[in-house]
Amino acid sequence: MSKPDHLPDRTAVPADPARGRNLLARKWAYLLSGVTVVSLSREGLERELGDLLDAFCASLLGKPADTPSVERIGERLVALGYVGEPGLRCTLEVLGKGLPSLPELQPPDRFAERIVLGLGALSCGFLLAHERSVLDQQEIMHLSLLKAVRDAQWNLKESEARFDEVVTSSASGIAVVRLDGRIVRANTALAEMLGHPSGELTGTGLYDLVHPDSVEVFREAMQTLLEGGGRERIRQSLRLLRKDGDVARISLTASLLRDADDRPGHFVVVVEDGTELMLLQGELSRQALHDVLTGLPNRQYFGTHLEAALRRADPAYGVTLFQVDLDAFGMVCNSLGRRVGEQLLVHVAQRLKVVMARERAMIARFHSDEFGILVENTATTPDIDTIVRAINDELAEPFFVEGHGLALSASAGVVHRPAKGIDPAELLRAADQTLRRAKDRRRGQWKMFDPVADAADRRAQALAVGMAGAWENGEIAVRYRPVVRLADGGMAGVEARLQWDRPGGPPLAHERCAELAEATGLSLPLGDWALRAASRQGEWWHQRLDFGLPVVAGLTEHQATDEALGTRVTGLLADTGLPPDQLMIGVPVGALPMSGVVENLTALSDVGVRVLLDEFGMGPDDLRAVEDLRVGVVRVARRLAAWQAWSDSSFLSALVPLVRQVGATLVVDGIDTEVQADWWRDAGADLATGDYFGTAVTAGAVVELLA
Amino acid sequence: MARTYDFMLGGGHNFAVDRAVGAQIEQAMPGLREAARVNRAFLGRAVRFMVDRGIRQFLDVGSGIPTVANVHEVAQACDPECRVVYVDRDPVAVAHSELMLAGNDHAAIVQADMRDPEKILESPQVRGLLDLDEPVGLLMLLMLHWIPDESDPLDLVGRYRAVMADGSFLAITHVTGDHQGENLTEATDVIKESRSPDQVTLRTRAQVTELFTGFEIVEPGLVGCGEWRPSGPADISDASDMNMLVYAGIGSKKSSEHR
Repeated sequence: MSKPDHLPDRTAVPADPARGRNLLARKWAYLLSGVTVVSLSREGLERELGDLLDAFCASLLGKPADTPSVERIGERLVALGYVGEPGLRCTLEVLGKGLPSLPELQPPDRFAERIVLGLGALSCGFLLAHERSVLDQQEIMHLSLLKAVRDAQWNLKESEARFDEVVTSSASGIAVVRLDGRIVRANTALAEMLGHPSGELTGTGLYDLVHPDSVEVFREAMQTLLEGGGRERIRQSLRLLRKDGDVARISLTASLLRDADDRPGHFVVVVEDGTELMLLQGELSRQALHDVLTGLPNRQYFGTHLEAALRRADPAYGVTLFQVDLDAFGMVCNSLGRRVGEQLLVHVAQRLKVVMARERAMIARFHSDEFGILVENTATTPDIDTIVRAINDELAEPFFVEGHGLALSASAGVVHRPAKGIDPAELLRAADQTLRRAKDRRRGQWKMFDPVADAADRRAQALAVGMAGAWENGEIAVRYRPVVRLADGGMAGVEARLQWDRPGGPPLAHERCAELAEATGLSLPLGDWALRAASRQGEWWHQRLDFGLPVVAGLTEHQATDEALGTRVTGLLADTGLPPDQLMIGVPVGALPMSGVVENLTALSDVGVRVLLDEFGMGPDDLRAVEDLRVGVVRVARRLAAWQAWSDSSFLSALVPLVRQVGATLVVDGIDTEVQADWWRDAGADLATGDYFGTAVTAGAVVELLA
Repeated sequence: MARTYDFMLGGGHNFAVDRAVGAQIEQAMPGLREAARVNRAFLGRAVRFMVDRGIRQFLDVGSGIPTVANVHEVAQACDPECRVVYVDRDPVAVAHSELMLAGNDHAAIVQADMRDPEKILESPQVRGLLDLDEPVGLLMLLMLHWIPDESDPLDLVGRYRAVMADGSFLAITHVTGDHQGENLTEATDVIKESRSPDQVTLRTRAQVTELFTGFEIVEPGLVGCGEWRPSGPADISDASDMNMLVYAGIGSKKSSEHR
């Protein structure tokens, strides 16, 4: 009823029916969610209750009233979740108060009866559905219990079956023994050990089988097991009595089985043939096969395993061998101590196991910081890059030992899917060699086995190690070639060079000889010998032919850093009688920063020997060295001559005057053609060596040139 | 305890003995029903939150019995392709779950101890349903307080974290005594006396926050589960101490710098 002189009543019922319903539904959802647990979200619940309310109103407005559909509303309410009594109560309150106010259900007295009956029907539908739901839930609980018990029984059967399997087929003797000592069951292995036919031991007393001398001690030990107090099992060396009267020396382990109520039930006794000695032997052979520090198999065991794995390798996927080496491990030991290094190795071993856990892989420690991994590949084995990356990722995680956080990278040599018949030793060698190549001055690299490079390496290495023998045989000789003045082609000196005349192969020139000798350290004695020979020769020429030009000999890096260089040279000068200024020693400029080289250089100069800076690059450091060390002669590296011949090299000619500026005589090596000789002459070089002026020849042949 | 919890939510998945324990606890702590309800509501919000952020697979560790508004119901209502693996140790709970999940090929239960993540992750159910290279929603709800300090819950979470892809989420709810009085002690005493082999370890806010190590906790941080982004009275009750009985938080696993 409206009052005069009043503003329209803002609390009047909204005229829009949809809006009214909407508000009621939302109120219902709001209140219902506060007392129930449903799986819908808030929006979801509002929508659902909105639907229910629509259905309810539809039935209220329809003729005749549709009771079953209202009952279904009650059912749907129950289906929302755990609605229950609080939910029903809330629903009845909200709908009871809200429905009569809806605009479409006016006037109230016309709909009052319908609303009441409708709410009643809803409650009945709710009640029935709720009952069913509770009964269903209880039913499921019972079913679950049943199922759980059945599953447990099945598991029990399974585990009993497994136990049976283990016991029957075990090579060790196994018996289940009652607490009073009666054997309930014993496997064939035990029966055999004691000379009984299978099955005969059942019912025998265990203590009757033990030699009288040891039975009391044994009984006491079993008693301590029974009483509990910490010990899970006992172990004894015993003598058992065989059926034929002999004695069997065995090692027996007994433990206690408890029943479902945790009370002692039975003993389980495992009998191994032999005594402690055999156990120790077992232990020894285990140790012989395993690395003591990390517990990983050692190289020997790995090798055996490798053989077997190669034999059974899957033809499609093959095997992959990784040889992994920790970078800078030596540095760790050196700075932080051996113990830290050892702990690091143990840690690395564990990490490697983690990485390879999903694969069929054996990880072994070869020695020091090298590990081998053999993977028997399957369809799911990741590719090599992934594996190596995984290894490095694992190792990159810092490992803390004694307060230091360490993380190392690893290098690896990988041989992937080697040929089926490959000899295991060869496979290991290939992996090792590949690892060396991977490590060549870099860290954290991995390399695949490359048969071509490998073959080349092996040839070179074979040569290098054979060099000492070849020298012994006289295959290595000293040859000589002229050092020529570019201006007029006259001779300015003679250079001594090594040459290796190999039977069954082309001769190796000085550069190759020097490289091979450097690899094995042969360069020191060989170089000394060559220097001596050259000096003796030079002195001979000096005496007989009045030859006054210097003999030039280039040193390798090893020779240049040799602490005894000065002594050697003075020694051989004294022995041969060559005047010092007739000897010119070439020091590679790359060796200058190394320790001791500058001292050697100075010592040589002090004695009067002339010094040539070899492998000169014409860069600022090199030029500085000339100035600092007051060296008179430099020889430009061969590669610069080659460079000049093949590309635009105008800057080279610009560099030449710089060398003159620091006051050095410029020699060029590697002059093989007239064109090159002309160029360098024009550029301002003084002297040159190279094939153009004659290859290295015997001392006798040089004489002609000297004439 | 799971069946008592169900009783307090208003369900019928329980036996007389569970209802008796429930009644006793309620006597000690009236209003505990509210805490149960609010806690269950958090599960729904947590799952919806994760689905909104792209998670389509879930691992619910310590799931208990299927009561109402289970993870797979909520998740599969949002996206039927969602996969859920439940984990529980109790054989009856597992049997119950197996019966409930019988027709659903996107959900499974593993019977395993939650303290053995390696066994769980190796199980055929996990291997079959979950792809751990993809982000996963890991739910550890009302579970970590059953793990005493000696069993190192932080390490346990870490072992799960290690196998989760970036973009994964972790939800934890954990009972706390921070806002309760004597009544909580009475309630936990009831549990102690029930001679259940598992006992509850209450933890403080700082301790629960620590369990999120390696994860970035999303807004609003670690709060009472009733206060975690509530959308209505379903999610939060009038009893503030009941809202705060359980801490709830969700953390996201970001990229590896957090290792």
